[in-house]
Amino acid sequence: MNKSCYCVWDLQSTDRDSALTELLASVPNIGAHSREMLIKALHIREQAGATLVTPGIAMPHCRSILMDDLVIAIGRSSSGIPWPDEPAGVVVMFISPVKPSGPQEHMDLIAHLASHMKNNGPERITGASSPEKLAELLGLDLIQGG
Amino acid sequence: MISLHDLDTMIADLGRADIRQQEEGLGLSPDQALVELGKMRDVLVESIRKRWYALYGQISSRYGNAVVPVVQNRCSGCFTMLPTSVNYAGDRNEQVRTCSICGRIIYWAD
Repeated sequence: MNKSCYCVWDLQSTDRDSALTELLASVPNIGAHSREMLIKALHIREQAGATLVTPGIAMPHCRSILMDDLVIAIGRSSSGIPWPDEPAGVVVMFISPVKPSGPQEHMDLIAHLASHMKNNGPERITGASSPEKLAELLGLDLIQGG
Repeated sequence: MISLHDLDTMIADLGRADIRQQEEGLGLSPDQALVELGKMRDVLVESIRKRWYALYGQISSRYGNAVVPVVQNRCSGCFTMLPTSVNYAGDRNEQVRTCSICGRIIYWAD
């Protein structure tokens, strides 16, 4: 499973929708039309139910036919982003491709992240001191310069 | 049509017991999300021309994947090379286009 992630260490967004846009903007090689459709898919999933999975950590996610490969982008906000009722200091966004083999990769990543969040605890994760540490606590590989 | 396909993928995923269990384990509410996604699907379908929605339904039931990307000028559903006039049309993503062989709805990822 590809566990490489981009990181926006100091998210400037003050609301959920703009945070999704800001995080996706950190991922290169996605065209404007695809980007717009992906934001829409993430937004739809959030509208169906906010993805704040544990205190301070949001996990917006979806699967889309627009992706060839799994994309992960993590972000941190020192002030916290309303998600929408409680603040999220860390946002872990991922978009999985739709493959004929099914959603196994998507499920594997959820299980992987859940395991790391359980083992490390939300306090340590939201209190990570650097992008590298945040990625490490989530069991992800930080893309340098990403 | 891409949004409809992605929405249907989310609905199908949340209908799976294994994914529901995972989402519940994370503290999410897949049952509630599933209901809300169904409502959003109804709204989205209202905005799609009946002709295209009917085609989407027919192709989905036949192949499973009704919407596929064009890869290297080929429909990635049946791998047929598409005509140059289709591949290089300026408005190729601005209207619904289908593969002339398999009938799948095609799009060009940018």
